[in-house]
Amino acid sequence: MDSARADILAARAHLQQQGWVARRSEAFHHLPPPQLAHWLGSAQEDACAAPVLGGSGWTLHPLGSHAASGIQARWLDAQDAAERAELFAGLPQPGDGEAAPFAWAHRALCRLGLRLRIGATPGKEREPVWLELRHQPRAQAEAPLLVLDVDPGVRCVLIETHERAEGDCLHPVAQNLHAHVRLGAGAQLQHLRIVSPGAADSVAHHIHASLAAGAQYAQALVATCGSYHLQRNSIALQGQGARAHSAALALAGSQQIDLQTYTQVQAAHTVSQAEALVLAQGRAHAVANAHTRIAPGCDEAGVRQRLMGVPLAGSPRLILRPHLEILHDNVQAAHGATWGALPEDALFYARQRGLDEACARALIIEGMARALLERCLGSEEEGLLAQWLQGGWLSRTIGTQLQASVEVQHG
Amino acid sequence: MNHTPPLLQVRDLRVNVGERTVLRSVSLDVPAGHLVVLMGANGSGKSTLGMALAGHPSYAVQGGQALLDGQDLLQMPAHERARAGLFVSFQSPPDVPGVKNNLFIRTALNAMHEARGQEPLDAFDFLASAKKAAKELGLPEAMLGRPVNEGFSGGERKRNELLQLSLLRPRLALLDEIDSGMDVDGVRAVVALVQKLRREGTAFVVVSHYLQMIEQLEPDAVLRLDQGCIAETGDLELARGIARTGFARARAQAVEA
Repeated sequence: MDSARADILAARAHLQQQGWVARRSEAFHHLPPPQLAHWLGSAQEDACAAPVLGGSGWTLHPLGSHAASGIQARWLDAQDAAERAELFAGLPQPGDGEAAPFAWAHRALCRLGLRLRIGATPGKEREPVWLELRHQPRAQAEAPLLVLDVDPGVRCVLIETHERAEGDCLHPVAQNLHAHVRLGAGAQLQHLRIVSPGAADSVAHHIHASLAAGAQYAQALVATCGSYHLQRNSIALQGQGARAHSAALALAGSQQIDLQTYTQVQAAHTVSQAEALVLAQGRAHAVANAHTRIAPGCDEAGVRQRLMGVPLAGSPRLILRPHLEILHDNVQAAHGATWGALPEDALFYARQRGLDEACARALIIEGMARALLERCLGSEEEGLLAQWLQGGWLSRTIGTQLQASVEVQHG
Repeated sequence: MNHTPPLLQVRDLRVNVGERTVLRSVSLDVPAGHLVVLMGANGSGKSTLGMALAGHPSYAVQGGQALLDGQDLLQMPAHERARAGLFVSFQSPPDVPGVKNNLFIRTALNAMHEARGQEPLDAFDFLASAKKAAKELGLPEAMLGRPVNEGFSGGERKRNELLQLSLLRPRLALLDEIDSGMDVDGVRAVVALVQKLRREGTAFVVVSHYLQMIEQLEPDAVLRLDQGCIAETGDLELARGIARTGFARARAQAVEA
């Protein structure tokens, strides 16, 4: 038996021994994930008679006119012993944390992964490296892997999209994705993630980010819902002066979404911000967790958590859980959660200027969404966010959700 | 003899805010191109009149009538009142986070165009006219690209109201303490814009306590609102008298008379 096969069997054995995510688990008890068999594909075997899914896994694309020659990309086969060793090199073992069963299941199923190293473009060391990463599912149950290393001092701008390809079979997908983002000293990454699964898909994305001294990581997520949708960030601020800002916009519709951001503040003079805006309606069930732990000795660390839920129609369940664990005296920390309707004064203001109710609501909701994303990624006209917004996806998606909320309201 | 009915006709308007009756009986007429100044002590109901006419859901009309060019304002939802030509500037214009000023105003203008069966505005044409209007009002061009009122000073918020007034060109505008927070140049800009729009037929109801501006506006009438009723009607002399003696004295004199 080769080492790849042995590794896979070991992961399966571990899962068999330790079991799946506990129902009492603090992180998952509000929205328990589907059982292990679902993620390993054993529950779906032979369920799909349609051709294999048309997606091609990870694909890398140039972004706009930005040429980037400082990128090294390796697609590696996790079932080949040598390539698996290279793919998983330097990654931590799944361990035994609350989300570890997902990581073990990932080890057991992962077939293909992408390792990306971002260095400066020769001759353009001061300019950011721009790239687009798309992922489309290749199998009904899959466990994609991404390892992204940004070299010290390099600035990178990345848009990562997850959408079902047109013409795909419509069978639901169970996707347990893990991405390891590692920023060298002084590296900067602006990371815009768009995750729009099919309505019947189950998605669990785990982003593990580690930041060396002076590194800066800004991650903005825009997520629509599937039958189960987990987005979990584990961010470790390991070096002095590191800064992380995560902002999640969840367009929950009438389905389920679970946003989790776990931040470990491990060094002095670090700054971490976690924000979420959840828009939900009908019988949606949405959870936003922000948990930050400030370790002893993290002098002058700054932490901010801001979670907001807006019910658009019906009786959605919105659970917002900001949580701070502070083990050092000299820090600044603030957190808050707001659950409520749209700002009435702004709505009336827009209506007094001639906008009908639906148009005013759409404008204000999109404004709230943009404001959240701009706080994270900036609002520069030539910036990543502005370029993406110009495509109109956000406006269209919010419009669709609002239309659905009107239908919910009118039964 | 001119039999053209006034553009705005308000009769016996009675308005509650919560359990409290704020407007007891307000009646006023404003013909097209005319300017009426509304004065009154704090809590007399000036802002309530504007919000009630605009259709704010917290201001419950208990009785009376308000017609704009013969159309029953009180039967219309708020946006239709605006589309019929009513503009109410807010005393404290709210923030609209994430919505850029130029997008907000263009969306409003296009809503008006759509209601009139007109083509939507071209984005470039709109931007050119918005920049021109902003310049005339002393509003930095950069404000057009910023979220509506977010981080604006008090004076900038008011100038932003003027910018919307200038671009939306309503038939009747109610300006609620538009001068508060404004510097001298801002007040000049108010006067210049109001005079220009008046010449084009826009009617105004201006709520203000600032005599110098009131004089420059050359009102057709000055009304004093007291405890939810129009207590006195006059001309500039009424405004001057109030500025000299205050509202308490004016109230006492009115009772004596």
